[in-house]
Parts: sequence; structure tokens; C-alpha cells
Amino acid sequence: MTSFPPRIERRTLLKGAAALGAFQLASPFIIQARGETAVRIGMVDPLTGVYAAPAGNEVMGAKLAIEQMNAKGGILGRQVELLVEDSANDVGTGVQKARKLIERDGVNFMIGDVNSGIAAAIAQVTSEKKILHIVSGGHTDSITGKDCKWNVFRVCNTTRMEANSVSSVLYSKYGKKWHFITPDYAFGHTLYDACTDDLKKLGGTVTGNELTPLGTTDFSAYLIKARAANPDVMILLVQGSDMINCLKQVVQFGLDKQIHVAGTQQELESLAALPPEARIGVWMFEWYWKQPGVPGVEKFVADIRKVNKGNVPTARHWFGYASAMSFALVANKEKSLDAVKLAGALENFELPDDVKLQPNKVYYRKGDHQLMTSAFVGEAQSKGKDDPEDLYRVDEIVPGNKTAPTVEETGCKVQWPA
Amino acid sequence: MSIIRCPMTLLLLFNITNGLIVGAFYVLMALGLSLILNLSNTINFAHGGFLVIGGYIAYAITPYIGFWGALLIAPPLTAVIGLVVERVLIRPLYGRDPLYSLLLTFGLAFIIEDGTRFIFGPQGKPVTIPPFLAQPLSNDFFFITGYRLFMVAVVMIAVALLFVLLRYTRLGIRIRAGTLDLETVAALGINVQLLRSLNFAVGIFLAGLSGVLAAGQLGLEPTMGTGLLMPSFIAIIVGGIGSLPGTLLGGLLIGVASGLTAVFLPAASEAVIYVMMAVVLLMRPRGLLGEEGMMS
Repeated sequence: MTSFPPRIERRTLLKGAAALGAFQLASPFIIQARGETAVRIGMVDPLTGVYAAPAGNEVMGAKLAIEQMNAKGGILGRQVELLVEDSANDVGTGVQKARKLIERDGVNFMIGDVNSGIAAAIAQVTSEKKILHIVSGGHTDSITGKDCKWNVFRVCNTTRMEANSVSSVLYSKYGKKWHFITPDYAFGHTLYDACTDDLKKLGGTVTGNELTPLGTTDFSAYLIKARAANPDVMILLVQGSDMINCLKQVVQFGLDKQIHVAGTQQELESLAALPPEARIGVWMFEWYWKQPGVPGVEKFVADIRKVNKGNVPTARHWFGYASAMSFALVANKEKSLDAVKLAGALENFELPDDVKLQPNKVYYRKGDHQLMTSAFVGEAQSKGKDDPEDLYRVDEIVPGNKTAPTVEETGCKVQWPA
Repeated sequence: MSIIRCPMTLLLLFNITNGLIVGAFYVLMALGLSLILNLSNTINFAHGGFLVIGGYIAYAITPYIGFWGALLIAPPLTAVIGLVVERVLIRPLYGRDPLYSLLLTFGLAFIIEDGTRFIFGPQGKPVTIPPFLAQPLSNDFFFITGYRLFMVAVVMIAVALLFVLLRYTRLGIRIRAGTLDLETVAALGINVQLLRSLNFAVGIFLAGLSGVLAAGQLGLEPTMGTGLLMPSFIAIIVGGIGSLPGTLLGGLLIGVASGLTAVFLPAASEAVIYVMMAVVLLMRPRGLLGEEGMMS
């Protein structure tokens, strides 16, 4: 017997359309909890949406750190738990999840977020709640600049550091007329400002800037405009799947044969998702897995391979790892969980070899709480020689204190709680 | 020397052409969505999910049978999955309010996204297209690549075949009759359940085809369906629910509109399609070519 439902009403359809807008709000994602007196680290990262791959890798890195610290007695002799929440790449959701981790789960420390906008918003919450917070992968300047906070530290580079590390190479190698493809949110805006400041100092000109919404799939309209401006080099500042879509279209359009294509921050996640012909350009990596002779790197690569389907770690794995390890190192050194005390101790705190995993000195700078971590400047390569994942050739490892502006220039003035 | 001297005219011409290409892709997706909506009264939120399934099937089988093989095999495989989903999950809900199937497909979309992430990982996968397609036609018209022309050709063939199917075959005539008056069609002794299943499969076939085509041009990721679903959805509303030519028109219109907006007001290039939808709903609620009463 067939039944005959009523026709769909327009309102139903519209409600559906509205619901689709909320589509990316996924349900929470929590990782094991055991033991009553465990020390808890909360982590908010966009496990769904355009940054799902880097976020997943940060979580994997943090999990490895938790495993290793628990094997060595945890923090102050207590086991450590990692509680992970999905910010779904949405500021409101991220803040809500951070509040939930602090108020309901009672976390002692906080890590997150890949998205700069969400990281900055979570920093408001953690500073209000007096929770020590390490921003693992959100790059916008203000987090350790004009909006810096006593409790907030950052592992990844600032956009200023990224631009400073690679601008002069791009200028001397590719030319002085630059056209930008910039993601239209906090990260993109500050990265663009940093690049244009560098370019002006070098004597170059900007032919234009295409602000693209986060999650853009088709870049053709922007590329048509950029090409029409006739620059020497097209600088791609987009990240995640936007980078993949953009670079893939650039190469299919043959634009890389007409003008140079390069950028600042590039990630292994993006290069791996691109077909070989689209792995082009000069960039900076924030960490790279192939560092022959540097202590600890080989072991870290082997450890991640075990949990990552045989794949090598990316910079994001290292961000998550170094963030979580920093808490354990400083808390065990100070024998305390007090946020104010630990924040004070983290100032000028230097990461040991087995955590920094790079040749230069790496420390959280006193004054703006930015980790002075290196930039790995080099070029993408279509195929790895010895390893299929060796998709980048590092030409120079520039130490963080060479790329970072001074504390005064960042505009950071840390206000400590009374 | 450039073909047209005024750079602004050239930029406009480029963007209109480019918009038509982008729109053609939305059309392919929207047609499948529209077919299912018309006959099954199901707003298929999982359509983007089926697109992703099509793309990943293509990715998985390309190493064995090449891109062309994948283009032939992946869409029908996706349709088979669609057929199973229709039989097991959607059919029991036909008797109920359309909200039920809407919620079901909404949930299904999450399951498909997470399922793909579970199987293939969150990191995007590279899909390589045949090198001769990955070339622009000329330096001036760099945005018209062999692949994009091929894509438009596939869309045109699919639209033509769909037209022939609906116009001249028994199945097509029944689908159209069912869209207008399912009760009478059933009373004439036609197996309506089977009709709906086949119609659903055709819709999902188009989603699978979109997935393979998209994977060649965009990054293949578990989330890629979400971003492509919304424009297709709006194409249907703008074009008019119940009208396949309307869907065609709607898809092309929003493609051109967002391309043109990107030239003059880039920040609004995403919002413009929603503005178009709002204007159409206010001025002509049934959509541009929609039939009176389809939405009432």
C-alpha cells in the first residue's frame, strides 16, 4: 500500500536551508578519561571543517606527548588525561567547548586552536578563568601581540615571523610586484599586513589583494583578477583545503608557467593532498620531519609513524606534542599546578632537545610569550627521493629570534593578575 | 595583442564565461537533488555526502583502471549505494511528514562525512587527471582548461540524456507523471515504489558523477560535499522547485552572479547567491520557472 504524503512546504524547505548552515556543528569528541586525581589537559581544535587534517594531527601529537609523560610518571606523579573537543571551525562553538572543558571537566591546562579567530576567543575565556593556555596552531599576531595575556603562550609562529622568514627570498628570487590571495579572516589579514610591510621595506609593490572567504572551493574568479593585474609573483596566503583547491587550480590553469607562484606558510598536509605537478613554489615550513643528525627527531618520526598509519609527522604533530610537553616540563620543574606561578616560570623557558626537535635554541620569550621557534625556508618538491613523503627541500633553518619582531614592536604588554 | 582592448570588458567577459563553467557544475548536482525532491518529496541533505562517496570511489579505483575507468564505474557504484540507502532508510519514511526524511538525510550526511574520514583519514587525497586535460587552451583564456571544457561537455550530455529519459522513455514519463500526481499514477497500476527507487538512483548517479568531476579539480576531502551542496540547493530554489529547466537556469545564474561579484565586491561573492535567493523568494516565491502551487 502506497501512502501519499503532503507536498513539501516552502517553509520546510527554508528551515532545511537554515539547518544546513548549522551543518558543521558536530557533536563533541572526547578521549578517554581514567583515574580520579588525574591532571587534565583540555584541547579545542577544529576536527571537522577545512582544518580537520591539521587539527587531527595536532591532537595526535598531543596524545603521543601524554603517553610519553604518563610512562615517565605524569605530572607531579599524577596521570595525565587529554580531553579533546571539536570547535568545528566556528568561534561560538570553540568558546562554548572551552567553557565546558573548564567549568564541567575542570581541566588544568588548555591547548588550541588551529583557527586564529577561535584561538583568540578561547584565550579570553582561559584568562578570565585563570587557566594556563598554549595556542598550538593559530598564527595571527595579536595573540602574542596587542591582545597578549599573562596566561597565554604560543608554539606556532606569528604571521609576522612567517613573513619575515621568507619575504626577502621571495623578493630576490621571484621579483618585486606581488599579488596576494588572502583568506578573509584574522590570520589572513595579519599575514597580509606583515608581507606588505616587508615588501615595502624591500622596495616592491602590491598589485592587488584578493580576499577569499574561508572554505572557498572555486578560486577561478580571483585568479582571473590576479592574472589581469600582471604581477611577478602570486603569493598564496590561504591554508588547509583552500590552499589545496587554489594551488590545484593555479596549476591546471597553467598560471605557474606565466607568473611565479609561492607564499609564506606551507604545510605537509597540503602538499600531500596535491597531485605531484601542483607541488611547487618557495615557502616556509614551521617544522620538518627530515632533519638528519638533529637529536630526537628520528625517534619522534618513528613514534608518530606507529600511530599515523606509517605516515611521518607534520609541523602540526610537533605543535601538539610541544604544547602538551611544555605543561609537563614546567609543572614538574616548579612542582606546582598554579597557573600564575607556571606562567611566570614559562617566561624564557627553554625547550630541551627531545621536545624542541630542531637545531636552534627554542624558548618562550619573556614579554610576549611567543615561542622562538625556527622557520624552515625552502621549496616544495613534486616527489620525494628516498621517501614518498619527502615533499619539501629545506634550504635554511632560521632561528625564531631572527624572524620575530621585538617585544616592543609586537605591542604586547602583559597584565598580570593582582 | 589582447582580443578585446578594454581590460574591464575583458574581465567581465572572462568572468561570465567562467561563471557559466562553475554554474554548469552546480547544475549537475542540483539536477539530482531536484529529481529526488520532485518525486520522493525528500530534501536530500546527504547529496553532498554521495558526491564525496563518488569522489572517493574514483580515488580508490583510479590506480587500477585509470581516470576514464573511474569516471565510468564510480557513478553507477554510487547509485547502487544510493539504491540501498533508499530501500533501507528512506522508503519507510515516505508515508510521513517530509521533515522525517529531511532529518534522516541530515544525519546521514554526518555519518557519510565521518565514515569517509574514518576510512580515508581527514587529510585530502590527490586525484590526478589525464595530463592533456590539465592544460589551458591558451594563455589569454587560461581559465578554460581541457578539463573544465570536458566537465561542461559531461554536464551537457547528462542534461541531454536526462531530457531524453524524462521525455521519451516509459520510465521518464512515469517519473514526470508521478511528480504531478503520484496517486493517479499508482491507481493506474504502476509500481510507485520501484519508480521512486529508480528515480533516487538516477539522482544519486548524478551526485556520484559530480563527485568524480569535482575530485579532478578540487581537493578531495571528506568535507568537500558541504560547500558544494548549498549552491546547488539555492540553484533549485532560484530556478523553481519542480522544474528541471528551472534548476538548469538557477545553477548557471548563481555561477555567473558569484563570478561577477568576485570582480567588483569580492567580500560579497559568497553572500550574493543568498541575496539572489531572498530576492526570488520575495518577488516570485515559486522560483523563476517553478510551477504555481508546487511550493504552496
